[in-house]
Amino acid sequence: MARAFRRRGARMVARLDRNEREVVASLMEQTRSLLAPDVASTGDEFADLIASLEWGETPEGMPRGTDPGDRDPALARLLPDAHRGDPAVAAEFRRLTEQDLRRRKSDALTTSIGALRATDDRDRLSLDPDTAQAFLIALTDTRLLIGERLGLRTEEDVDAWEARVEADPDDPLAYVAALYDFLTWLQDGLVGALMGRRAFPDV
Amino acid sequence: MSTAPVKEPEVISRDVLEPALPWITLVWNDPVNLMSYVTYVFETYFGYPRAKAEKLMMDVHTLGKAVVSLGTREAMETDCMAMQGFGLWATFEKND
Repeated sequence: MARAFRRRGARMVARLDRNEREVVASLMEQTRSLLAPDVASTGDEFADLIASLEWGETPEGMPRGTDPGDRDPALARLLPDAHRGDPAVAAEFRRLTEQDLRRRKSDALTTSIGALRATDDRDRLSLDPDTAQAFLIALTDTRLLIGERLGLRTEEDVDAWEARVEADPDDPLAYVAALYDFLTWLQDGLVGALMGRRAFPDV
Repeated sequence: MSTAPVKEPEVISRDVLEPALPWITLVWNDPVNLMSYVTYVFETYFGYPRAKAEKLMMDVHTLGKAVVSLGTREAMETDCMAMQGFGLWATFEKND
């Protein structure tokens, strides 16, 4: 049985069994495969910048992947246009930040997957402060991806989706709903532990 | 106590004030991010006190968006990138 994150000194500690850890890790892997930067990091910031400029542009000079037709809609939510109303400003921001944001998000996912898979047989997931921060971001991006796949754009979408799953528990989406709810529960517990309040009851 | 004559306050014209904080960072409502998490992000990244972070989070939730910071364009690009890094739906624009 899972137990929500609680603060233990400087560490955030939850209990997740092997199956639960592996489910979360594999969802994070899927998120990472969508988010991974187009250009792998060389470990040198300047070299990375040059590489992203060189490979990040098409011959027409338009940043790659900004054409709505060739961009996964989930990416549009994970890396939204940063300016509403001025596509040129949004495109410039994207050119300057996208590869870096993708790399940071991928790194947070990698750190979190590593923590999940390194957890011992006592099912104790214990995160130091930096890893806890990475884990929060990894959970956020994973929930955003699942939310986008489920078409959750507004609060009404969430209500409609919950009603649908409630009406038909055999709906294949009910399993996805359960995963999403589990990640939500896990994240709320972690935020609560970091902010010093009690988490929701255990599931 | 000072006995120096009290000077008339100088009138600061709008022309002087406006360029100081000409751009804003906005965070928009979305149905996925948790209210607790949004509060946590405003608190930890901007260093806002809990009450201010919660007020901004509630504005996002109930009004659909909130201005979370003001400053130069460069500073707002940095804040916007940080918010997007946390998974919040952030944009920046000129403060008209």
